[in-house]
Amino acid sequence: MRDLASFHPGILQEMESTFKGTSSVGRILTIARNTFREAVRDRILYNLVVFVLLITAAAILLGELTDGQEARTIVNLGLSAILIFGTFISIFVGVSLVSKEIERKTVYAILSKPVRRGEFIIGKYVGLCLTLAVNTAVMGIGVSLALLYVGGNSLALSIWSSVAMIFFELTITTAVAIVFSSFSTPALSALFTFLVFVIGHSTAALRELASGLNSTAARILFDGIYYVLPNLSNFSYITEAAHGHVPSAQLFVLSAVYAVIFDTVLITLAVLIFARRNFK
Amino acid sequence: MVGSVKTIGSIAAILIIVGGLASIYAIEDSIERNRPSTLVEWNDEDLSVHGGRLRGFVFGTEGGLADWYWIRSLQYVGHKLVDAGDTKVDIDDLRPLNPRLLYPYLDTATDLDPQFMGAYTYGAVVLPAIDPELAIKLTRKGISNNPESWRLYQYLGYIYWKLERYEEASATYAAGSHVSGAPPFLNLMSAAMKTQGGSRDTAREIYGQMAADESDSQTQYYAKLRLQWIDSLEEQDGIRSALKIFQDRNGRCANSWNELIPFLKPIKLPHGLAFHLDGRNQVVDPSGVPYIIDSQRCDVHLNFADTKVPTR
Repeated sequence: MRDLASFHPGILQEMESTFKGTSSVGRILTIARNTFREAVRDRILYNLVVFVLLITAAAILLGELTDGQEARTIVNLGLSAILIFGTFISIFVGVSLVSKEIERKTVYAILSKPVRRGEFIIGKYVGLCLTLAVNTAVMGIGVSLALLYVGGNSLALSIWSSVAMIFFELTITTAVAIVFSSFSTPALSALFTFLVFVIGHSTAALRELASGLNSTAARILFDGIYYVLPNLSNFSYITEAAHGHVPSAQLFVLSAVYAVIFDTVLITLAVLIFARRNFK
Repeated sequence: MVGSVKTIGSIAAILIIVGGLASIYAIEDSIERNRPSTLVEWNDEDLSVHGGRLRGFVFGTEGGLADWYWIRSLQYVGHKLVDAGDTKVDIDDLRPLNPRLLYPYLDTATDLDPQFMGAYTYGAVVLPAIDPELAIKLTRKGISNNPESWRLYQYLGYIYWKLERYEEASATYAAGSHVSGAPPFLNLMSAAMKTQGGSRDTAREIYGQMAADESDSQTQYYAKLRLQWIDSLEEQDGIRSALKIFQDRNGRCANSWNELIPFLKPIKLPHGLAFHLDGRNQVVDPSGVPYIIDSQRCDVHLNFADTKVPTR
């Protein structure tokens, strides 16, 4: 994967002229825009080709395999693929966003411009979220088209709230990746983020499991994990979406608020760590 | 000199790769042939039936996993039928095929996705031919998870009816009729179970309603086969009446369709049914296979070897 500067030999000058006299939000948006461009040029969106092939094959073949249940299977398969593809992008691109700039020393050039470290981190995060939003939306359109093909017309529309909830989850995974990458190596950051993803999806079940045990320590431990780590199962609405269910407005808004709060906490943590980091 | 060494090295590398892949193919084949065969009673994949325990641990993709179990259950029964080869399979008694994993597959699919109506429906239709109590258990589980689905009451009533437990069938249909949006026929079925549970007309009504359920093609296929079976019973009754009239008039049984057909014309079959003839003027069953006249017993029966109509 190439870094920002290698794509645009003159980008730093361009950024410098853009940064001059702009507000904090303007600077964040400039970094976000360039992060998005970088992701596109890194061919990250090529995963959409694989996804389209998967969904097309599913739409054609599932009629034979599922005995009339192809619409629900396409929803399950398609939304699960959106989650998994998105999570891989969040983890692997998220952990390299900062570390790559440090490794190639382009961070010096950027931070020598009138850009605060916090703006740099937030810009990077927003840029990747924008990439994920485009990726998720295109995949969602693919699933809807496949559903229209197999006659699941009502599901083609009703899945979109579930698609949005997957996107909320991906913003948290990205924030976790950025937190870890702000102080650790890319390999360890990817591993830690993946573990948070796994545990985040299991906290509710683990907590339930622990409540059945006769161990106070286990209960305290799992309660602690439940509240400290993001509970990603809050965003799991794939199985219900396959039945045409739509989350209630209250659940949807609460999930969005939960994501925004966790994103804010995590990015603040990342900014804090990054602000104190010594690049020598 | 250096160039020729490089060329030899490249050729050697290619030879190693090709030779290695070829030997892997041979070794793999040899391992497969030498693998001890599993006992017949353990040749199913028991380890794959505990997926219900994964609920809460598969990142919200329980529905996808339930689909996998659903597809496995269809393939499982399909493979059993294919393995049966030319053996005549009785669709009302699949126990000789030993499909013992069907219930665990469907149970797991519905553990992972408690609203998976396709799995409940498939279980309600196919499981009675394997273990009716498991069919009841699965359908009851479906009702417990989806109390608003009158279809599940319909299927549970059907299972009880198949078992000739008419009181329970009546109570189930009655319970289903109270569900919001339930069609009026559930009430009618509840009454019919009490008064004429074992009648052919009741069976026709039950299978007719199942055949109308467009959400499940397996159920439709099964119900249509059963409707063909009921039609063939009506046709056989009509042919028997004609045979009786022929025998009374001629003092002997009819030997051929040519002799019998004039006696069939006045016979009126119920529900608007009519006799159908093939190109050789033989009366055919609903699957298009000629009935067989048994002149010795002066009776008629399906061509058991060729007919697609269920034989019982």
